[in-house]
Amino acid sequence: MAETATIPRPRREGRIRKLLERYPFLPALVIVAALLALNGFFSPASLSYRALTGLLSTYMALILLSIAQTYVVYAGDIDLSAGAILSLVNVAIIVLMERWGGGAGAVLLALAIGLLLGLACGLVNGLVVAALRLQAIVATFATSIFFTGLALYILPVAGTPAPAIFWRTYGGRLFGVPFVFYVLAALIVLITVMSRTRLVTQLLAVGDDQQAAYQSGLPVIPVRIKGYVLCGLFSALAAFCITGDTASGDPLVGGKMTLYSVAAVVLGGSALSGGWGTVVGSLLGALTIGLINSVVFFMGTPSEWQNFVQGLAILVVLMAGVLAGRRARP
Amino acid sequence: MKKFIAFALGTVASIAISASAYAETFKIGLSNGWVGSEWRTQMIDEAKAAAAKWKEKGVDVEVSVQSANVDVPGQIAHIRNFIAEGVNAIIVNPNSPTAFDPIFAQAKEAGILVIATDAEVSSPDAIYVGIDQTAWGAAGAKWLAETLGGKGKVVAINGVAGHPANEMRVAGYRGVFKEHPDIQVVNEVNANWDQAQGQQAMQNVLATYPDINGVVVQDGMAAGAWKSIMDAGKKDQIAATGEIRKDFIDLWIKEKLNSGATVNPPGVMASALNVAVLMLQGKELKEPAKAGQYGNALYLPIPFIDSKNVEEAAKQLEGKPGYYSYTSSLSIEEAEALFK
Repeated sequence: MAETATIPRPRREGRIRKLLERYPFLPALVIVAALLALNGFFSPASLSYRALTGLLSTYMALILLSIAQTYVVYAGDIDLSAGAILSLVNVAIIVLMERWGGGAGAVLLALAIGLLLGLACGLVNGLVVAALRLQAIVATFATSIFFTGLALYILPVAGTPAPAIFWRTYGGRLFGVPFVFYVLAALIVLITVMSRTRLVTQLLAVGDDQQAAYQSGLPVIPVRIKGYVLCGLFSALAAFCITGDTASGDPLVGGKMTLYSVAAVVLGGSALSGGWGTVVGSLLGALTIGLINSVVFFMGTPSEWQNFVQGLAILVVLMAGVLAGRRARP
Repeated sequence: MKKFIAFALGTVASIAISASAYAETFKIGLSNGWVGSEWRTQMIDEAKAAAAKWKEKGVDVEVSVQSANVDVPGQIAHIRNFIAEGVNAIIVNPNSPTAFDPIFAQAKEAGILVIATDAEVSSPDAIYVGIDQTAWGAAGAKWLAETLGGKGKVVAINGVAGHPANEMRVAGYRGVFKEHPDIQVVNEVNANWDQAQGQQAMQNVLATYPDINGVVVQDGMAAGAWKSIMDAGKKDQIAATGEIRKDFIDLWIKEKLNSGATVNPPGVMASALNVAVLMLQGKELKEPAKAGQYGNALYLPIPFIDSKNVEEAAKQLEGKPGYYSYTSSLSIEEAEALFK
């Protein structure tokens, strides 16, 4: 994974520093490995092939949502509507699949429309934030309410089963390998290709120093809009995964996931101020959140303390990541 | 060293004896996906207490609890963790009626009994043990209709629009009022199961319809609504449904309110646990769980508190903190009576 989605910086002394510079997601990787080991220590069954497949298929939606969030964070923006876009796409494709009979063709067509819907939501966000110059955090909070309203209009109460062909594929196997591993492989190829595109470099440049980027002739506004569009598209992909894992529509399903996606981005070593970060880090950050939730349970935390310990663990991991990451940055 | 070995052997032996003291051992996972109210805490505490009671019957019921504010994927992860842990049964208060179908199918495949409580689920691989929310809504309306002598102007204050339990309760009271043509429902408002919003909604209602006779308000908002009624000095002219929390019941007795409260007992999870243990023992229900819109429900009786028995309810709650809810659950014997 030659994933160095950051602007080239002068080399520094020290092996660790060099390594961290080349692979800024290393601390996140170490943390994921440590959490896996802890999970295995407290409950060996949690490392079984079956359990790991389950972990991946449950958290794939959060992984994709965190990657979506990363692209706007690159440019120093934020998207508090990512979870609402996920809910909206979830209910839209569920309702369309049902209307069109639930065959393979209907499923594919609904997915295509879902992608377009994600793209449109991203475009709306990009326009209000970059073109109208509204503060990203408030503007996307407002659009999140708007998108949730649309989702509630499309499907007022959680329900409507997904066609069996859809969720059986997502939860099933292809040539003996769980489908979700193909999703992961495709995702890794996709983000590796993405990290080499000019757009990602431009997003990072805008996030690093917007003024400088503008002065050097970068089209800052279109670049930021494209960042939001990318975020909308990946949120739609996240919606496909949640639909596959829950096999139903729920207009409120993504609400709580937005802040988790922001947390995953930071846990993965990206800077919320923009200009620095990796999507692989966010992928690992999302897994970190999932693994923390399980380890808190497997180590036998009493139920009254589970929320507390979970929050504390996220804080500790965050601090560890910041301390390690600081070495790599100027 | 010898002493140590003897001690170690003794310990091992005593562990072996204590392990064999129970004829059966079951491991049951409890999952709760929202910790925003004391009701949920009480629900889990009562389920734990119910599990401990089985020891007297020679059954070791070990409970493993996951309770945290989680999103739907987070609660799916709860279920996955329980499957990985190898529990015999999972009892869940679900965050979504439909989203757990695939994961419940996996749990069933792994030979795990899945029971939902408090909110119904659509999964054919699970059963629901809890109250019928439609009947819950109907019971309050029936009390109000009788109290008003079958005629008068009534207002409804509901919970979260679109929430399955709310929709069922609304259907419940509408059904009852339809049978009483002289009862006129002048308005229905949503106050999102929030005391402050309930109080606000009631104030607005009183300002708009000064001549109303009755209010159907769901628990979680009734104390707020009653506060507005009392502030307006109308507690003797208006009959309204109430709450099952101790602080409200105390107020009810002190102020001699004209109220009636349908009980949604926090003991539902304890009832579900007792049913689960009996099912794990291989017993069969006399009447299979086939009720409800999803055809997988076993409905529990719904207690009702009115001015006749409110003193008794207060007795049960004596010495408890103000947030403690009036409760009831199936005892082991009562649960056994449901089985062949």
